[in-house]
Amino acid sequence: MAEQLQAPIVERVYQLNLGPQHPSTHGVLRVLLDLDGEFIVKADPVIGYGHRGHEKMGENRTYKQFMPNTSRMDYLSGMIFNHGFALAVEKFAGIEVPARAKYIRTICAELNRISSHLLWFGTYVMDLGGFTPFLYAFDDREQILDILDRVSGSRLTYSYCRFGGVCRDADAQFFDMTRAFVKRLRSRFPDYENLVTKNVIFIHRVKGVGVITKQQAADYGVTGPNLRACGIPYDMRKVEPYEMYDRFDFEIPVGMNGDALDRYRVRMEEMEQSCRIIDQALDQLPSGPYLNEKGSFKVVPPKGEMYFAFESARGQTGYYLVSDGSGTPYRCHIRVPSFGNLHVLTEVLKGTMVADAISILGSIDVVIPEIDR
Amino acid sequence: MAKKEDIIGKISAMLPANAVCTDDAYRSGVVFSASVPLEKVRDVLGSFKEGGFYLESVTALDFQDTGELVYHLNTYEPKARMVVRALVGDGAVVQTVSDLFPTADWQEREIREFFGIQFAGHPDPRNLLLPEDADYYPLKKTFGSVNAYRRREEIYG
Repeated sequence: MAEQLQAPIVERVYQLNLGPQHPSTHGVLRVLLDLDGEFIVKADPVIGYGHRGHEKMGENRTYKQFMPNTSRMDYLSGMIFNHGFALAVEKFAGIEVPARAKYIRTICAELNRISSHLLWFGTYVMDLGGFTPFLYAFDDREQILDILDRVSGSRLTYSYCRFGGVCRDADAQFFDMTRAFVKRLRSRFPDYENLVTKNVIFIHRVKGVGVITKQQAADYGVTGPNLRACGIPYDMRKVEPYEMYDRFDFEIPVGMNGDALDRYRVRMEEMEQSCRIIDQALDQLPSGPYLNEKGSFKVVPPKGEMYFAFESARGQTGYYLVSDGSGTPYRCHIRVPSFGNLHVLTEVLKGTMVADAISILGSIDVVIPEIDR
Repeated sequence: MAKKEDIIGKISAMLPANAVCTDDAYRSGVVFSASVPLEKVRDVLGSFKEGGFYLESVTALDFQDTGELVYHLNTYEPKARMVVRALVGDGAVVQTVSDLFPTADWQEREIREFFGIQFAGHPDPRNLLLPEDADYYPLKKTFGSVNAYRRREEIYG
């Protein structure tokens, strides 16, 4: 293989479009592959099909009006993006948040993280040819969507957080449903383990495939489960604890080799850790107000700028807001994790085979509208 | 931790004293910020690279009187984010840092197409997100409807 790559005969290299409508590119991603036989010589991801100009929209809207935009970037972890934006503006404008609201937001964000990982799990295994786990995962995910639907009134684009709390209180049934779900999900992990994690066909497709080294991760700004799979325990919830995360006892799962199997393991273990956080949050939940009424009226941060980072399901996300002292941001930049996570593929895909490209692309877990913004 | 202080010291030595600002309280989400002349950006980012930092995000700001580049760097430590900023006048050409930090490749492409800031030595100056034939710079304040178009000192004093 190595000899083939070192001396490619130019005529033998041909181009192949992977996407933009390939079922395993999850959204409109096109990867232009230069192939020598079945080996990839060069991979060039072509993005921008879903560009809507969220950053420009942010400059034309008040802070409150921009909230719905945030969940439309990463539509699979919309609650976490809403949450992060609320936290950024609260820190910027100095808005107090009642303790109950903080707990409710944390529970919802962690539920959203599990639902995002479940969707990834189902679709990834389906990309590799296993259809059944997809049905199991979507069955579980549907429970989360019902829970979040109950509390926010929406299934994907929640806009549930407000500056200073949440828009309505969570009721007893929400907590009952959440407890029942956590119990149910825990009983499902052994099934997933038997169906997929121990499945020899699955292991052959992912072990040693698509290795991201620590150096590559740092070069390309890879974060999230993809970075933790390389063995670096770097999670915004631990290193810059926001909201209530410093009060919960949870671990950061890490891998060793940085291959697709490690990325799979890290995400599966993260779901268990999210369950732990939800359990503790439900136990500690205080009563009291769910919204700081004063905070959400008119939000006017002082002149200056604010960078706020949080951990979405895909990695470190950051809002960079510049305020000119009015109710509208002067500049609203969003640092999205999938940007670096996809960019590293230009290195990782080199020298692999086309069939593995699908496995690697799936294991990275990119959401294209988030990159395009 | 000592490493981080070493780099701050090294960079402070390269720059005039009033260009550097340290904020241990982390009020705006960064621990250290440095305003750097455009031609020194590569040197400063080079020292960060040696210290094991990764480039988190590159973005630009558009003001009436000037443009500005903002580089956010971070390392795998708690609260270690640093920001390097450089004013970019009209038509100024910026040296690329995509050889130091490969992630800057795409980020600079994005800035070029959205703000019209040119990067010298960039290996692949195509449009990233916009159509190939786009001849406008959408995030400039002169494009489309904007809420405000200000001078830099109105915000940063």
